[in-house]
Amino acid sequence: MVEKKAAAAAEASVLLRRRLCDSAFIFAPLRSSPDGNYSKLKFLISNSITEACNNSVLILGPRGSGKNAVLELVLEDLRGEYQDMISVVRLNGLLHGDDNYGMKEIARQLCLEHGLLFSKIASSDDNSRFLIDMLRECGLAHKTVIFVLDEFDLFTQGKQRLLYGLLDAMQSLVSQSVVIGVSCRLDADQLLEKRVRSRFSHRKLLFVPPSVEDLQRLVERILYLPADFSSPCDFVTEFNSKLGKIFVDKKFKDVLGSVSNVDGSISNLLRFLFRVVSSLDLESGLLSLDNFKTASLSIHRHPKMENIRNASILELYLLVCMHRLEVKEQNSYNFNSIMKEYKAIHDAYKSSDCRGGNACLRAFEHLLERELISFTDTRRGGLSIEYRPVKLLVSPHELHQGLKSYPSCPVILQKLLNHETYK
Amino acid sequence: MVKTSVSELPKRTTRSCSLTESARKQHEVQETVEPLFPSVFSNFLFREESISLDVLLQHFPGRRSQVLEILQLIGPLNSPMIPLFVYGGPSTGKSSVVTQVFRHLNRPFVYASCCSCYSPSILFQYVLNQLFLLTKNLRNDFSSSWSCERASDFIILLKDALTQFVSVVGECSDKSDLKQSTALGDGKMIYLVFDNVEMIRHWDGSSDLISILFKLQDLLRMVEVGLIYISRAGPNCYYANIGSTEPLPIFFPDYTEDDLYEILMRNQVNPKLYSSFLRVVLKPFYRVTRRLDELSIAFQPLFEKYREQVSDPKLLPDETMNRRLFDNIQPHIAPSIDEIMKVSSLQLQQDNTGKFSNEKRSAKKFHGNAAYDGLDFHMSLSTKYLFLSAFLASRNPPTLDSAMFDSTGGSSNQKRKRKSSEASRQEKDHNLQAMLLKGPGSFSLERLLAIFQCITYVADCYPERETLDNQMYEDERSGATSDVLLQLSSLCEANFISKSASCSLEGFTRYRCTVDEIIALKVARSISFPLSKYLYRG
Repeated sequence: MVEKKAAAAAEASVLLRRRLCDSAFIFAPLRSSPDGNYSKLKFLISNSITEACNNSVLILGPRGSGKNAVLELVLEDLRGEYQDMISVVRLNGLLHGDDNYGMKEIARQLCLEHGLLFSKIASSDDNSRFLIDMLRECGLAHKTVIFVLDEFDLFTQGKQRLLYGLLDAMQSLVSQSVVIGVSCRLDADQLLEKRVRSRFSHRKLLFVPPSVEDLQRLVERILYLPADFSSPCDFVTEFNSKLGKIFVDKKFKDVLGSVSNVDGSISNLLRFLFRVVSSLDLESGLLSLDNFKTASLSIHRHPKMENIRNASILELYLLVCMHRLEVKEQNSYNFNSIMKEYKAIHDAYKSSDCRGGNACLRAFEHLLERELISFTDTRRGGLSIEYRPVKLLVSPHELHQGLKSYPSCPVILQKLLNHETYK
Repeated sequence: MVKTSVSELPKRTTRSCSLTESARKQHEVQETVEPLFPSVFSNFLFREESISLDVLLQHFPGRRSQVLEILQLIGPLNSPMIPLFVYGGPSTGKSSVVTQVFRHLNRPFVYASCCSCYSPSILFQYVLNQLFLLTKNLRNDFSSSWSCERASDFIILLKDALTQFVSVVGECSDKSDLKQSTALGDGKMIYLVFDNVEMIRHWDGSSDLISILFKLQDLLRMVEVGLIYISRAGPNCYYANIGSTEPLPIFFPDYTEDDLYEILMRNQVNPKLYSSFLRVVLKPFYRVTRRLDELSIAFQPLFEKYREQVSDPKLLPDETMNRRLFDNIQPHIAPSIDEIMKVSSLQLQQDNTGKFSNEKRSAKKFHGNAAYDGLDFHMSLSTKYLFLSAFLASRNPPTLDSAMFDSTGGSSNQKRKRKSSEASRQEKDHNLQAMLLKGPGSFSLERLLAIFQCITYVADCYPERETLDNQMYEDERSGATSDVLLQLSSLCEANFISKSASCSLEGFTRYRCTVDEIIALKVARSISFPLSKYLYRG
């Protein structure tokens, strides 16, 4: 019986993880809302397919708000409706931001789609001529070419020949294509050159982060097991009823609120839920409120504080010395001046652990490696480490907090810091 | 079998160990070139038998929670995952934990370290090579298509390779051939592990590559691919580059004192003796550094010293003996802390210059050693003088040259020093501060030669100098400067003097002496040259 339950729990966790990684599942309910971005986008594209016209649109919104997922949903549905009437070309600004390579990639994908032979050595001119020809041919065959430009803002960095070429080709009557730009920069259309902007239809779809209620509904949709789940029936009911109890708990709402306060995007929520699901206890097979709590704690980290807590005592001494130098308003200091300060502290307080220059230099290098401090100059030739000016990368407050939470921190360090900062 | 594999494992599985292990593994694979298809698959896997969870946890004292967390997040068989971001300081067991976890799970994975794959194209090629199930010399007909320089080509090829892999695995599991599936590893997932991601930040055009790596999940759109990034730098260093699927962070904190004790105690011949030794030395060292690699190096010579006192290695130390040993070792600890730390960390030097100049690095190390071992390098006499004049030229302000090197041989310097009032002392402090900040100054070749002429001349006039030397200087002075230039270039090679960028106004190269005063004084002493007399001190 116990084994059976554990097997069911493992199966459930695989199912939940699969759901979390499947964006189509997560964004599927958007299909039903009549005035959502999904319907708008679908209307726009299907309109230009049926009317045989050109169109262009920008999808804007913060990262992780589901722009691409919704676009994929739309494209998939359209492919179901108009089977042979569309062909999709996907570009990514990160990969194809260069105009020549972007053109090449377009040609490659078009060739692949239409069973043509793609020549690697074709010049950029050849490729753009090929594009125009292809668009004409597709237009004559009443086939709509959909260009999806992910990371749209990166295409605007160069001379924008690619964008110009695409949008200019759409000016002719015979062609039939849609350009969809996806970007997380809300001012993406302002980045366009004048000649490009004038050819661009200024349609924009804006994605906004969902409300807490929406998030809660999404959580419920993701986590509830389906009734036809292939395991003993009582497991599903037990699992779901336990979840139901958690969802109405006020503490759960607080946890969800704290997660969405830091980052309200859907992708952040998914990461959070992934932690929750992966910590599912296989023996009981049920999720508990503790799972949610620990997940919310572990997903948001403070790398700087962790680094301070990791530092050895000598490294902390150096940090405090640097802080003291900054308080003294020395606008520029290097390892030697830090050492001077360090020696001064030891002379003044007669503390037990005074290390030599070599150990300190090593600790100094560790701090550099931990990225708690950094050089202010970049690559000044020939100067050795001791002489290069440095700066702190942690704020006094962070340093203070770090020392406070440091296990068995020497009292003198705290005193030194407090003395200077909060006098 | 499990027992033997434990003893085979190195005492500390740090990165270098796991790297050599993976290198050995590749070597193995290359040696056993078999045309059979499934056997090549073991490329992904550790050849050794997979290990149980208990053994895995035993290997990594102090890493229990991290191992369990990674196992949880990777999840059961055939479960997709969100990318993981494993980070923590150096030598905290990140890479070895991840690779050993896969050994435990017995699932296929590709491990690529950005440390050994030092440029984008090499990294791409390495990953693809691993994925295409054959090394370059196995089948040549593919290699031409793999020379992928651009990330866009990489993504296309990677996608191809992954789909091919997934389909092969799918076929095999359909056939449910037990023997084949063990050769493949378990499950339909393939994991890509990118180690040392922080190194990419120093590559050319790095920001794009980092974004691409972190967005692989979005770019590939394959649920069968699990991604794991290992980095020394925390996630805060990558925020600007991470896409919508920000990876899940897993933090490896530095080892605590107890963890270090446990790790260092492993595989000791005489555990009792070593434990009493550790109880003495670990605490003071722990206050200075927490890095296992540094500590284990530091402890080796110390333990030798500690053991000298014990005549019989089999003898178990009792209370009084511990006391005696402690008294013996106590005075050695503080100096050794300073001494051990001397070897400059090479890693950092690389980061600073951004170049991989082997010559330079070895020179740095060499000059570091020289500092406390006395003069253990050989220099001709005139090179030593040239060296000293370079040092002087770097330290002294050029305006004072005439005062220092007039015919009286720097005696006027003494006079000036005597009349120091309050104001001048303040000014002196200020100057000293400025010198500490500025570091050694740069100088032109002409100035160096002038100082060189001066000090060799002064050395000439010294009554106590031996005639033999005098003879040499006669030759030296009459000789052409081409000799001096040659010596200068060899000093530059040895990194005692660095060439700074040529000044755009003056149009010729400037030099800078990079050695510290201690070495310079040692060199001066070796030829009994009164260096401090010529040194301007604020």
